[in-house]
Amino acid sequence: MIALAVMGLSIGAIIGWNLPLRIPAVHARYLAIAVLAGLDSVFGGMRAEIEGRFDGVVFGSGFFFNMLLAAGLTYVGDRLGVELYLAVVVALGVRMFQNVGAARRLWLSQYRQKR
Amino acid sequence: MRQRSGQVMLVVIFAVLGFMVTTQIRNQQRLVGMLPLRRADELTALLRAAEAERDLLRYELASLRVRLEEVAASESAAIAALNRELASLRLLSGVSAVRGPGILVTMHDSQRPRTRQQDPNVFLIHDDDLLKVVNELRAAGAEAISINGQRLTALSEIRCVGPTISINSVRVAPPIVIAAVGDAQTMEGALKMRGGVVDQLSLWGIEVTMTRERELLVPAYDRVLSWKHARPAEVRGTP
Repeated sequence: MIALAVMGLSIGAIIGWNLPLRIPAVHARYLAIAVLAGLDSVFGGMRAEIEGRFDGVVFGSGFFFNMLLAAGLTYVGDRLGVELYLAVVVALGVRMFQNVGAARRLWLSQYRQKR
Repeated sequence: MRQRSGQVMLVVIFAVLGFMVTTQIRNQQRLVGMLPLRRADELTALLRAAEAERDLLRYELASLRVRLEEVAASESAAIAALNRELASLRLLSGVSAVRGPGILVTMHDSQRPRTRQQDPNVFLIHDDDLLKVVNELRAAGAEAISINGQRLTALSEIRCVGPTISINSVRVAPPIVIAAVGDAQTMEGALKMRGGVVDQLSLWGIEVTMTRERELLVPAYDRVLSWKHARPAEVRGTP
């Protein structure tokens, strides 16, 4: 599972590094927010995996849907003149910490039980 | 089969994530490279270089003008009359330096302590203050005027540029020294008139001091005279 993830990540990284895709400065923030949402989904998936309730469909749909939602909220915020992307950053940031923390605690307790 | 498609899905998702992250990193590197701050630095360097070049050319122009005067002086008496007219026109246009009696007007920004509510702008010398002084001097018969070494010609501007004042496209800052050749008594009287320019400026604490000089030197206009649009026109009779 981890091997698959690393493999996918490196394939994407190699493509991204060699494909000179230029994002205009105006739209750079949408990509940044989408990346953040993607990272959040990955951490959520990690936690679910350790908890033993990982579902590929939930993970895949959440990954893409959250990205679109985050970028969409940022867009709406820009239209309205409200810095909505800050709300996205805060919400996703807090969630990432929670998920990583929960995953770490679960993993530690599993590790101790094994010994 | 279901297991296998799930694995492919996982790889694809992570590939998308990796692609987005690297794209974002590369774009961010590019964006940081063109921060406005760095741009301003570059422009400052360019401006410095251009100004250095301008000063060099100005020096060259001055030496060439000296040569022109030498040549003009060595000509025969037959064109003496023409030369006289030329000298007069050169005085008027400002391309030759002027010597003569006059006054030196020195202006300082206000040193008066001010409260926080007061607008600091009114205590500084502005372009319109200079314009008023120059206007008054001209009205009092000044024949040649320079401000901080910049000769005022028919084409000179006196204009605010940020915190400084631009005269002949050269930035000038207080203390301002105005040299005016003309009748010293008349010019001093015009400036010091009750309710006049000096009176108004002293309201804000802007110091204006005047000294009469027996012999003043007003420098020449040190830029190239180039005409892009104006051409001499033949006009018959008085217009």
